[in-house]
Amino acid sequence: MFGYVANRLLAAIPTLLGVALITFLLMRAVPGDVVTSLVGLEANTTPERLAELRRLFGLDLPLHVQFGQWLGAVVQGDFGSSLRTGREVAQDLALRFPVTLQLTVMGLFTALLIAVPLGVLAALRRGGLVDYFASLFAILGLSVPGFFLALLLILLFALALGWLPPAGFVPLAEDPAQNFRHMILPALSLGLILAGAVTRILRSSMLEVLSRDYIRTARAKGLSERVVVFRHALRNALIPVVTVIGIQFGSLLGGAVIIEQVFSLPGVGRFALEGINLRDYPVVQGTVLFVATAAVLVNLLVDLLYSLIDPRIRYE
Amino acid sequence: MKKLLVLLVLTLAAASLAQKSGGVLRAGMQTDPVGLDPHTTNATASRNVLENIYDTLVMLDSKGRIVPGLAQSWTVSPDGLTWTFRLRPGVTFHNGDPLKASDVAFSINRIKDPATKSPRANDFAVVRSVTAPNDSTVVITLSQPFTPLLAKLAFSTNVVVSEKVTREHNNDLNKAVIGTGPFRFVEYIPQTRLVVRKWDKYWQKDNQGRPLPYLDGITYTYYPDPAARSTALRAGAVDWIEYVTAADVRPLKADRNLVVVGGPSANFRALYFNTTREPYNNPKVRQAIAYAIDKKAIVDLALFGTGGIVARGTTIPSGAYAYTNSPYNTRDVARAKQLLAEAGFPNGFTMNLYVTSTYDFLRTPADVIRDNLAEVGIRVNIQAEDWNVYLPKALRSEFDVTLLGTSGQADPDDYLFNTFHPSSALNLSKYKNDRVTQLLEQGRRTASQSERQRIYTQVQEIVLQDSPMAFLFHSAQYEAMNRRVQGFLHFPNTSYLAFRYTWLQ
Repeated sequence: MFGYVANRLLAAIPTLLGVALITFLLMRAVPGDVVTSLVGLEANTTPERLAELRRLFGLDLPLHVQFGQWLGAVVQGDFGSSLRTGREVAQDLALRFPVTLQLTVMGLFTALLIAVPLGVLAALRRGGLVDYFASLFAILGLSVPGFFLALLLILLFALALGWLPPAGFVPLAEDPAQNFRHMILPALSLGLILAGAVTRILRSSMLEVLSRDYIRTARAKGLSERVVVFRHALRNALIPVVTVIGIQFGSLLGGAVIIEQVFSLPGVGRFALEGINLRDYPVVQGTVLFVATAAVLVNLLVDLLYSLIDPRIRYE
Repeated sequence: MKKLLVLLVLTLAAASLAQKSGGVLRAGMQTDPVGLDPHTTNATASRNVLENIYDTLVMLDSKGRIVPGLAQSWTVSPDGLTWTFRLRPGVTFHNGDPLKASDVAFSINRIKDPATKSPRANDFAVVRSVTAPNDSTVVITLSQPFTPLLAKLAFSTNVVVSEKVTREHNNDLNKAVIGTGPFRFVEYIPQTRLVVRKWDKYWQKDNQGRPLPYLDGITYTYYPDPAARSTALRAGAVDWIEYVTAADVRPLKADRNLVVVGGPSANFRALYFNTTREPYNNPKVRQAIAYAIDKKAIVDLALFGTGGIVARGTTIPSGAYAYTNSPYNTRDVARAKQLLAEAGFPNGFTMNLYVTSTYDFLRTPADVIRDNLAEVGIRVNIQAEDWNVYLPKALRSEFDVTLLGTSGQADPDDYLFNTFHPSSALNLSKYKNDRVTQLLEQGRRTASQSERQRIYTQVQEIVLQDSPMAFLFHSAQYEAMNRRVQGFLHFPNTSYLAFRYTWLQ
């Protein structure tokens, strides 16, 4: 087990190096220029002055030197500073990552809360009313764009009913109640969308498991339906669900950009988006590397989780 | 009757005393400030917050006139080269330190210093030296007379910072936001909020001698999405929002609980012809296009009728120097066709119009222009790109024709020199007319307003004749607020200095 984890972590190093290099090169390949974006149109700045600014930012150096300098600093824990705001990238990531993590956890939790009962019921009452409803719900969840659902929820809960704030954020440590109130609508938007896919997967995986021999055996030896469904069927049917949730978790750590934008949440996604828009190289490089690391760790955790659900799965 | 009158007077007095104080305004902003060091950013988002934390030597009022700021008075030597400013007594920084003339000298020199990387360094290109002979006097020496100096000093990021604080923080003012303005900085959490509180020792008083500001503080929060911003206002999550989009103006005005203020701003939007490229090097082609465009249709269709006003002259939107008699104010398709025929294009040609897709007001007018020009045989081919791709190319004049514009502040020099002088980086149409160049330089040296007015009228007449650009419209800008917000005035130069006089009921 320990050896397995160590191996996986070692294997992650070339992956992360590759991610760092590709991000670096892609950002340089995208047309646009951070210095022009920074100075803007209005300042009436001459091309000579722009060239001088580029030099002062170190952007005139050869690419391999720029990459080497950046990587050298990252290895020592220094993610550099934003070219735009002068703020340290690590400091901003530390502010934003908890927001994204909270949104992800609350969103996935909401998704499971909806999808698990719905998926199980749909499988048990195959072809019944609940099953049709579950299918409809899943299709809607898969096809309605996130921003549209978010706007509908805002219209209903913030404008019409006035129960929840329409957008904005309060840090968790500052006021947990207010923080929660601000996170309900974003988590619900995210959860409803994800619940669609999870319901579909759980339903089909439940159906498959329920048709297995050991379920018939369990029923034959007179176990109650509850024990059959929950202890024997659901547990095994959850494996594909864990896979999907794990993949979603990893990708959501990069930020649910659209949800963050609509609800004005200060998450990782908006941070990266702003960085990309303004070609703020240290911000984009730092964020992508950080998120990639988080995704690698989550993947590892998911793999370890399999063995918890299904003891037959062992890692040596 | 007498009793009633006394009662009325008392009530009014009580009301005026009670009403104008207190309240924390919750302002819904579009984006975060781009850094908090006033000298290293040119972003409107930073300016609009920092302008109420810091002060400038002189300021602009809501009519765009220069009024005293940290300088109480100033004199200019007869040769126009030496400007002497007398500082207001009793001004203190938010850390309690008194303001000294050396802070002013330090600030201007800091903006000028290439190592600061200030985008406004160019404002003080003709400043030879800034000195502080004593604690309350600042002397600015110029290498040539420069009448627009006051307008440059009034620009809202050319603020006075503390020399001591700057040195203590290794020249990084992102880490120490300490000014002399009406509000002191409390905290900033990116994409969450920025908080300022009233500075109790602020120097400015209202016209009844009461201390400013009235507000106890401002909490800025950020809503990048325009719909989220208006929703936040309607739901009562904020009291005031900026950048109401043209499409949102009518629905918000219809809401009885809200007030929308705003109007044309200090800017211009125009079609820039690259006068060094065929066929736009021919003035007749440029004039023909200017005649063929229906400016009113652009404002009505592309800007929803609320997003701007038709440009009736050149780049200056309003005020004493604005010229309003453009020959292109009446659309003349026949004249346009005739000019094209004279230029050798009786059947028109294909025009590449390069625009940015990032801002609607710079993108949607292109569709109206395409329809307009089709009527004179010019086939418009629109190419749209993201702002950050577009801007570097536009600044290098890598286009045949583009749709763009800039803002000015108070001085006609902002609008005319920047756009039409061959040495200016914003002369994107590469326009060069020796008479205009000479007049623009003369305008900078001339102090008398009537004389400058004569010069700038002449410049604008020649420019309209040469038609290096087709002047389309002046963008409007709107702010909206709930009815508790009192005393807020819209400034045409994208400034929220009015927060100094705002209060909550």
